[in-house]
Amino acid sequence: MSTLHVISRSPFGDNRLASCLRLLGPHDGLLLCGDAVYALNPGSVTVAGLNTLGPRLYALAEDLEARAISDTGATAVDYPAFVELSLNYDKVNSWL
Amino acid sequence: MKFVIAVFSPGHAPSSRRALLFAQAALAGGHEIVRLFFYQDGVHSASANVVTPQDENDVPAHWREFVTAHQLDAVVCIAAALRRGVLNDEEANRYQRPAANLPVPWELSGLGQLHEAAQSADRLVCFGGD
Repeated sequence: MSTLHVISRSPFGDNRLASCLRLLGPHDGLLLCGDAVYALNPGSVTVAGLNTLGPRLYALAEDLEARAISDTGATAVDYPAFVELSLNYDKVNSWL
Repeated sequence: MKFVIAVFSPGHAPSSRRALLFAQAALAGGHEIVRLFFYQDGVHSASANVVTPQDENDVPAHWREFVTAHQLDAVVCIAAALRRGVLNDEEANRYQRPAANLPVPWELSGLGQLHEAAQSADRLVCFGGD
């Protein structure tokens, strides 16, 4: 059973990202959107932990662009890709 | 594939717009949305009284157009809606309130509708927060 975790809040305002990374299973994926993409900002303390996820790390393309964040280890996805991503995992868990 | 999409945030939150774009992409990709469920502050998107500033994206209006155009099953949680003053004619009469603000295409119903839809769909995707 694999889960796609979705986080939309900044990692610098609460502990959702840290909790999620602690619970993330070996086959789970993580999609960052909204202010959560600040976790990918080069130089942030959160980058190293996220990069260990390799190909299981995704970010919503429009949110990266809106915040001028590039050269990340995350796969950028648009909305059609988000839909397909949700089907590549058995379930979707949003950290509301 | 069949989707249920649950929206927990009001129309002015980025996550409500994200839910709408996800829903549009799902239909465009040939998938089916068996139900949209508006819960907690998400019920505000169904209110006919929302006035969005002219220089902002009117997400509640886009939701209404999307639901109408595709004749989707759009359920608004009745308990969440009543406490936020989102009422249809029947509830406005029942509680003797001066006005109703929940017209078609929205339907007031219970949380059981989310559970039931989640059982019949391949994926439940929730949107909330920022």
